[in-house]
Amino acid sequence: MESASTVNEVSRRAKLRGPSARIALVAGLGVLAAGCAQDAPQDTWDPAGPNAQMINDLDWLVFPIAGVVGLIVMVFIAIIVVKFRDRGQAIPEQTHGKPALEIILTIIPALILIGITIPTVSTIMALSETDDTECVVNVTGQQWWWEIDYPQQDGCSGIASPIVTSGQMVIPVGTPVLVRGTSRDVIHSWWIPRLNGKKDMVPGRVHTVRLEADEPGIYAGQCTEFCGLSHANMRMEVIAMLPDDFEAWKAQQLAPYQPPAEASLAATGEATFVAQCSSCHQVNGLEDATGNLIIAQPQERVYSGAAPNLSHFMTRNTFAGASWDLLTDECRANVWDAPPDVVGERYLEGVNADCLNSVDLRNWLRNAPAMKPMYADAEKLEKTDGLVRGMPNLALSEDQIDELIAYLLERK
Amino acid sequence: MLTTGSKFLIGATVLALVSAIAYGVTQDGVMGTIGLLSAACALAFLAGVNIFTRDSNIWADEIASVETAPAAARPPADSPWPLAFALGTVVLTVGLVTYQAVFIVGVVLMLAAGAEWTAEAWAERASADATFNAEVRSRIANPLEFPLAAAIGIGIIVYAFSRIMLWLSKTNTVVFFSMMGIVIITVAFFIAYRPGLKSRAAFGAIAVGVLALVAGGAAAGLDGERPIKVHETTEGLSNEGVDICSSTEKFEADKKASQSVGARASVAATITLSDDGQLTFELNGPSQEGSDALTLPRSNPNNVLFVNRSDDYRRLSLDLGTRTVADEEGVDEVVPFLVCTTLIDTDSEQNKTITIGAPSIAAPDGYYFFVPGVESARLELVVP
Repeated sequence: MESASTVNEVSRRAKLRGPSARIALVAGLGVLAAGCAQDAPQDTWDPAGPNAQMINDLDWLVFPIAGVVGLIVMVFIAIIVVKFRDRGQAIPEQTHGKPALEIILTIIPALILIGITIPTVSTIMALSETDDTECVVNVTGQQWWWEIDYPQQDGCSGIASPIVTSGQMVIPVGTPVLVRGTSRDVIHSWWIPRLNGKKDMVPGRVHTVRLEADEPGIYAGQCTEFCGLSHANMRMEVIAMLPDDFEAWKAQQLAPYQPPAEASLAATGEATFVAQCSSCHQVNGLEDATGNLIIAQPQERVYSGAAPNLSHFMTRNTFAGASWDLLTDECRANVWDAPPDVVGERYLEGVNADCLNSVDLRNWLRNAPAMKPMYADAEKLEKTDGLVRGMPNLALSEDQIDELIAYLLERK
Repeated sequence: MLTTGSKFLIGATVLALVSAIAYGVTQDGVMGTIGLLSAACALAFLAGVNIFTRDSNIWADEIASVETAPAAARPPADSPWPLAFALGTVVLTVGLVTYQAVFIVGVVLMLAAGAEWTAEAWAERASADATFNAEVRSRIANPLEFPLAAAIGIGIIVYAFSRIMLWLSKTNTVVFFSMMGIVIITVAFFIAYRPGLKSRAAFGAIAVGVLALVAGGAAAGLDGERPIKVHETTEGLSNEGVDICSSTEKFEADKKASQSVGARASVAATITLSDDGQLTFELNGPSQEGSDALTLPRSNPNNVLFVNRSDDYRRLSLDLGTRTVADEEGVDEVVPFLVCTTLIDTDSEQNKTITIGAPSIAAPDGYYFFVPGVESARLELVVP
């Protein structure tokens, strides 16, 4: 006859080979394998600037210590659970108080914490330093995109007039940049993992963060404070380029408005833009039929009071909160995977008709809320007095979409 | 024979069915009908269970059980809670078609009455001893009842107090409540130094006082608050067409304005009027060196701090071009669009939150800060 302990042992082994154990094993291996991802543009373990390097250095100090402590605790728990499990034995003698052990177990964690606190606090203090920055860029978050503007300044090797763009921040490589950030509606958080830690952008407050890239490249980021329905679709990129390329980019952004050729499809698109888009989207220099400058009034239609400036739309690579590419996959790879010394040059080429990702852009113009969840149905927005969050469906015809794309392709 | 509980549930089932039919016939949409039919099914099921288990009661024909069962030893006492529950139902129903506040009162009344009724009914079945049952009920219900009753009582007194204070004029409030304080202290003194005074008399005096307070509060609440003068603001005066932002005169809006600001971290820009009449600005973090213009984001609440280092009272004004407003007859007219701080003393500071909807290119001359009375003080504002 089998003894009770033999039966229990068999039962235990059966459980270890059961479906639950297998699922746990596969899930664990999956999580482990995720750490080996190669295409990880938002990798904090791959710093590309001094601030991110400081965070990385701190991580490499803290994480091993935390890992060893965690491992020791887990091993002890496992030993205790296995060794002292209930096997019907008598309850051991109960004791109270082991002063020597308690003192040791207090002092050791305290020393570990002190050892972690000193470099952590000094890193936090160093990260908050912005006095050495040489270029100011304002960042304003709203549901669900980032506006980026460069005020008039001597920094950034001189900016004579303000530059306004969205989704993609262009900076000169090796230059410490001061980002002054705020928000127009709810709390957002600016995070370019390879360049620095995250910083909350809060309505009514101005927070600063220092960005510097060691070498040219495109650094991806993501809003990291839950900000509503399309929080996951609120992305951004920092494009670091060589100083000469940056100068060319500034000139590109400050170039005056170029009206489309008369009787062209783009000219029809200009009229369509004025009728359908210009009430929210600013295009600097665009005039109405009487020759007056058209000033967008997004504050009358949009809850955040802003919509992306489209003056040089096709100098950017992404749209709709940097969530969709303006470039086809092949052209995108040509820019994003370019060697550092040419990435700026290729970025400056912008988007042309051959490289345009017209599928996504057409879908966006056809029905934006279908692509990106937004509170864009004015009839359902009592709480905001009908002001939309995001871009509404404008019910454009296919002809109008063709015209608008022709017009936008010339916005460089 | 149908049991008491099952009769109630059958009635509720029929009511839900009738309501479902009425709703389906009179209202658009099917969700309400589905909900009511679901409720009818659930109630019918419960009715069936109750009939089957005979309300979980002993069988009527088991005489011995009837005679010996504790629950059967004593009839339930009179209770106000069923009445309160029914009243709550009525109030809730009325609230559904009138005001949300009435509905909430009905829900609260129903829940409170239901809880009390449940506790009382449960306690009455605890034993055959009525005294013991009453203790059981108190033990269960009092820890909830006393704090709630105290909160409600204190809330009523405080609310009545506030209504009286808001009804009386500022001077009369001081007089009235000084007298009230004297009366309360006198009565307390009298009670404390008369140990022979019956507690009923003391309780009566307090009850009269509380009732008077509540009655006074209700009367004052119904009569409304005294007229409270609204302090003028620079923005309000500007909107009324008063040219305060170009003026060096002192308006009422300039009086008693705070001239110190604590929340420095929220300041988007600090604008300083120097003693030589120049306006300069500083930003949070390193400034935009080389820029003659301050840049602030559009459609965003920007906190601008004005610091007066001149030797006179000064205000900071912002010229935003023009705007269109409707005059008294509803006709649109174009008026200057100015916003400003109050007049502040030398070495004082004042915060102004500015939200600008349109970019500065919307104004022919752009946007600019200026200080009335100081010609040289001018600072361009760029809103991209």
